[in-house]
Amino acid sequence: MKATQGTTYRMLGSRLNDISLQLEELRKIGVTGKKLNAPSDDPAAIRPVFNTRKQLSNVDRYLDTMGKSLDTMQATDGHLKHVENIMQRAKEIMTNAINGTLNDEDRTVLADEMAGLRKELIAAANGTVDGKYLFAGYQQDTTPFVQNSAYDPQLYDPNDSSTWPYLYQGDENATSLEMTPGELVQVNLTGNDLFFGTSAWDPANPANNSTESGRYDLFLELTQAEEALRSNDQAAMQTSLSDLEGAAEQNRRLRAQLGNQADRVDATISYQEEVRVDLKQILSRYEDADAIEAFNNIIQQETAFQAALSVTSKVSQLSILDYL
Amino acid sequence: MTSLLNALNAGKTSLLTNQKSIEITGNNIANVNTPGYSRQTAQLSNVPSLNFGNFFIGQGVTVSDVSRDYNVFINRQLQSKTIDYGEETGKSSSLAELERIFNVSGSNLAGQINDFFDAWQQLAANPSGQVERDAVIQRGQLLGGAFASITNELDTIEQNINSEIVAGVSTINKQLTEIAQLNERIHLVETSGQSANSARDQRDLIIKDLSETLGVQTYPDNMGMICVQLPGGQPLVLGGTAATISTVTNGTDVNLQLNIAGATRDIGLDNMGGKFKGMFEMRDVFMEGLRDDLNTLAVDLSTAVNTEHVAGYGADGVTGRLFFDDISALPPDQEASRNFKVALTDSSQVAAAGNPEAAPGDNENALRIGQLESSRKVNGTNETFDTFFSQMVATVGIEAARNDLALSGAKDATIQLQNLRDGYSGVSLEEEMIDLIQFQRGFQSSAKFLSTVDELMNSLIQMKS
Repeated sequence: MKATQGTTYRMLGSRLNDISLQLEELRKIGVTGKKLNAPSDDPAAIRPVFNTRKQLSNVDRYLDTMGKSLDTMQATDGHLKHVENIMQRAKEIMTNAINGTLNDEDRTVLADEMAGLRKELIAAANGTVDGKYLFAGYQQDTTPFVQNSAYDPQLYDPNDSSTWPYLYQGDENATSLEMTPGELVQVNLTGNDLFFGTSAWDPANPANNSTESGRYDLFLELTQAEEALRSNDQAAMQTSLSDLEGAAEQNRRLRAQLGNQADRVDATISYQEEVRVDLKQILSRYEDADAIEAFNNIIQQETAFQAALSVTSKVSQLSILDYL
Repeated sequence: MTSLLNALNAGKTSLLTNQKSIEITGNNIANVNTPGYSRQTAQLSNVPSLNFGNFFIGQGVTVSDVSRDYNVFINRQLQSKTIDYGEETGKSSSLAELERIFNVSGSNLAGQINDFFDAWQQLAANPSGQVERDAVIQRGQLLGGAFASITNELDTIEQNINSEIVAGVSTINKQLTEIAQLNERIHLVETSGQSANSARDQRDLIIKDLSETLGVQTYPDNMGMICVQLPGGQPLVLGGTAATISTVTNGTDVNLQLNIAGATRDIGLDNMGGKFKGMFEMRDVFMEGLRDDLNTLAVDLSTAVNTEHVAGYGADGVTGRLFFDDISALPPDQEASRNFKVALTDSSQVAAAGNPEAAPGDNENALRIGQLESSRKVNGTNETFDTFFSQMVATVGIEAARNDLALSGAKDATIQLQNLRDGYSGVSLEEEMIDLIQFQRGFQSSAKFLSTVDELMNSLIQMKS
């Protein structure tokens, strides 16, 4: 066994090659700041990395969706507040009419104001956000509430919506959006639920629609209140007052319900934002290189490289020919 | 009876022998960097002595043989390690490409799948939005593009492997013929009693090359010839006859055939070693597996989306439309991953609605399709679409990491064995220089001896005059 020129230079060459390859690898880590640059760098990390990325993109989407829903909910709440004011005012008018000793002119003024409130109510019920009707169910592009020209107080039948003072052209479907994986949250209220007091709505067959017991048709109450005022029917006014109170209560209840949902969305947003930070941390743990460690390793390899280079140059200086 | 003439003769043999030795040393030095060269040494022996009366008198020195430093054990070790090294090199270039295709960046196929379902979720938040509807179709087209581009890249790698195989085969055939010719020459030279050193060195070098490319096995016969065969035992070189390997194209694949003595046999994966085995294994086993997985993913994703989409309603109220072309039952020559295309032509056909009225706010079907991303398990597995793909990337990663490790191990091993071989057979300049001095001194001494004898003869001649 002997050391020959071939063995020496082969050994030096392969060693220099190895070190410079490792150095390149380390420099790549240093420059990109990532330790996972190719699948072979850490095959076990690939699945969690991909999974975390998907979750991150989902969280971003959920946050976006929730932000938009919250906007809609706030706009809806504004309209509901307006409805509440309308009902409040209607009650005041009715109380005034029952308690006070009013003549016909006074009552006509009150009845006119009541009619004005009804118009305001329909403006609120046909409220839009972003060009879409808020209370039309899926029929966002259709004006949900229109006055029924065929309305006749004598023919009113609570079990046939075609006889009601106002007609609903939307549908019964509330919009649900995905807030967290697999969890759907209802982000709006349908017109039939809010204004007609019925959770089901069959647009094709009016005879299938009726206001649920204990609930109220807001338009009907205002219409009947106006009729009672105009006809000076004390008994009807009394009934109307309690019905108006019930209708206002129905609106408050649904408003609170929506408020709760908005709160939940709000809480979910801050929760998802935390999740987002956590996910980014997880991703970073798998992907990102420890900068200090990376630079330490580079310096260590560079020292080894320098040593190998200087040995290589020394070898060529040493020759038997210089001594013969 | 001694004679000055005898002494002259002995001196002459010494001069010639030392000169021959210097020549051989010079040849060694000249070949210090020749790959595969084995150091040669002159075998010196004295010329048989003659019996003069009661004395045996030496008749000088002669070079009986020029031998080479050679160790069969080390050389065979080197040959077998080279096979391992070759197999890993055969895999490494295509694995580097595969790592690029199945990369870990955010824009890979998993990213495209995410983006596609993200577009559906976005559509669910605004089902009547024209932009969102267009986005769903565009994302679908991009996803199809990503599937097709991976398939094309896999094709390119296979084509590269195929052309490397075709190019390699012609070199192999040349080498096989060369071994057969060298066998003949060695046989011829050595029957006359000499050693065919350089021819043997050359043959060893070619065999080492063949071990790396084809993983051949060798055994010597009793005439100094070496028989070369494939790992499966099929003969490549028998004495002075060499077989030829030819390539046959089967569809898109190139396969090998062995032609020997008029017969043709297929060379399967089991009958190969070295680089070729690595390449064939990558092409026929590893990448084929990736293709199958990719097709499974393409078929399952398109079927899952289609099943939901068919049940939904477009903005025009029409139901029963496919979102992607149906690729679940393609003819065998068509690949699913290449035919992953969006079937819809207009954004109004996107079935976001779940009810026949197809109201503009109806997002039920878009929600259902968006949820497929996390709820749907790829058929026969427990994986969602993107984890199924991450599994494929991990497979590539594991194989590439294994190959890296095995390659550097095999490389180290071959370098060490190569050094061991050179430590035994290689030329050391120091050694040669010392030999040079040694033979130079021998030559000088012989010359001195001859001049002394000459002086003696001169004295004798002077005596007479």
